[in-house]
Amino acid sequence: MGGSVASVVEPVGAIDGTVGQVDFALIGHQESWRAAADVLAVLRGPERAPLPDDEIKDILPWIPPRAVCHVEVESIVGAKARGLYIDSFIPPDRLEAAYVHENIARVRGAAACAINAEAKVVSLGGFSSILIEGNFNQLPERHDTVFTTGNTLTVAFIVQGIKKMSALEGRDMRRSTLLIVGATGDVGSGCARCLAPVVKRVLLSARNVERLSRLATELQAEGVQVEIASDLLENHLQQFSADADLVICAASLASPSLLLGRIAPDAIVCDAGYPKNLSPSAEISGTKVFFGGLGQITGGLKFTPDFHGILNRHPFPDVVHGCLLEGMALALESRFEPFSQGRGFITPERVEEIETIAARHGIYLAPLYNAEGPLNGGPDCQTACLADVPIHRREMPPPEDMHVELQG
Amino acid sequence: MEPLIAVNCSTIECASLSPSAPIWQDVLAQAITGELLAAMNYTSLSEICDDPEEVADALEHAQIERGHAARFAAEGRKIGVEASNNVDARHWKALREAFLRCIAERDFIGCLIVQEIMLESFAVASYARVGKVAPGSLGQTFARIAAEEEEHVDHAMAILRAERALDAQRFDNKVHRLHLDVMTTLAKMLAKECKDGHCEVCHGNCVKPSLFEVSLSAAELRGASLQQYLKTLDMLGIPGEVTLGWVAQLPV
Repeated sequence: MGGSVASVVEPVGAIDGTVGQVDFALIGHQESWRAAADVLAVLRGPERAPLPDDEIKDILPWIPPRAVCHVEVESIVGAKARGLYIDSFIPPDRLEAAYVHENIARVRGAAACAINAEAKVVSLGGFSSILIEGNFNQLPERHDTVFTTGNTLTVAFIVQGIKKMSALEGRDMRRSTLLIVGATGDVGSGCARCLAPVVKRVLLSARNVERLSRLATELQAEGVQVEIASDLLENHLQQFSADADLVICAASLASPSLLLGRIAPDAIVCDAGYPKNLSPSAEISGTKVFFGGLGQITGGLKFTPDFHGILNRHPFPDVVHGCLLEGMALALESRFEPFSQGRGFITPERVEEIETIAARHGIYLAPLYNAEGPLNGGPDCQTACLADVPIHRREMPPPEDMHVELQG
Repeated sequence: MEPLIAVNCSTIECASLSPSAPIWQDVLAQAITGELLAAMNYTSLSEICDDPEEVADALEHAQIERGHAARFAAEGRKIGVEASNNVDARHWKALREAFLRCIAERDFIGCLIVQEIMLESFAVASYARVGKVAPGSLGQTFARIAAEEEEHVDHAMAILRAERALDAQRFDNKVHRLHLDVMTTLAKMLAKECKDGHCEVCHGNCVKPSLFEVSLSAAELRGASLQQYLKTLDMLGIPGEVTLGWVAQLPV
């Protein structure tokens, strides 16, 4: 990547040429080259041949952060909010630590676009929040624009998903052992605080031993049975995987590379990563996997130009990742505040507060699904086996199944 | 095609050519051609200016661009090559014709958009990239001229921003119309492979496949140029989602 991408100066302007303030902005990036190709294909229009893959990989890294489309969201109680989807154009294969400075510059550039658009609240989707959550001072001067990582609503939907899946499977969570991979991250620690009181035992895995110990001490003070392991020590993670019957994967991984080890065959696994955490070769045959942290808008969602089914793919309509939904929910509520900032501050009370706001506007937990498709629930619930799912299926479901799902 | 500026071969004193010299020869030939075309464009622009100050500015710019061409030619001589030029080569000719259509319409703003926003974006970005990898004074010259070209863009930006403030939609429509004409040609020039045959500037086979030997690539030069173009359009105030669509629709 060449010149700085952070120096973008982008004034607000609508597709139709009108100019004006937007209620919210969503900052994101594409999870795969396939997804990026589809975005560019929409921009090229149906009359032009899609760009070949090698050209996309050559061109995309040079695109400065900018608005891609306008978003309108409607509440079930009649409130409306208008916003922008801004792509930082972080190349899908450059999420590793080696590109951290370049990627922070991209998120800063995207943030500048949001500020220029006078967005009142901005959600940081996917890796954008991971890059910025501990470094909000790295964002450009903000004027009247506030930023939220959106992680609190993500946690809410992960917790709701785990509870729903447990109920569907007839599990008594009070007897469960919960493993959280990526436990010291903002999302992982929030899930730990919400779920620790309702399970028998908690296993925490993360890279940073000091942060792990701090979180464990905090939970133990509440009377929770906690064990910790740095996931750098693979044996520990393997042992934890074998012991757990509930697993939340919330690690900041640049690609789906988590193997977990030998996991209990009837375990419930929530993959809440963006990009997904679980490796296609993970030995999780027989486990019940679902993609977590997703909510569904029931009041109405519109993109201009129409990126439905393109910005991401999903077997249900109007599904959006929790972190982006948080900004939309706050906008619908006219609460333009930095609801989620920093790392490690997500509490059950804040989770309850944001899920109440979201629900008031018709934003609920999305139907559960995994790479193979929707999960019907109940005893016949579809069994997931990511190892058996070809990578291209995981990236792109058949067109007839595609609806929108924004990251977060 | 006869070069527009003469190269004094007697000044070439290199005993032996470096292996990369033929590559730099073609890179320089493209740069010299671009500079000469810019000089011609500014001269033409001076002919439609009413304000004597604008006439003087345009002629001064033309002179500066000729100076750039001469400096590039001199750098060629330093490494023992004769870098030719051909403003009638297929793509450069098309770019000149696009500019002349603006001249025919006495469209001063259109001329600035073509020369300062489109052609200069390409020049600034590609010279800067070459400046980073080219050895010695060759690299320094590319880098310095890139910086000087950037000043041209700054000069025009104030005029163009003021014009857009009068009627943004009309202005954006004009930029889009010119984009379709000029940037389509530039995109073909910048493509990773010359699909329409020889560019008529390279002295032998197409230089693009050899650029990796001097730590460059056609993809990188295209990427940097398009990025510079998008940023320049951002500075004009044209909505980013609109210009993204324009660039996404260019040929590859």
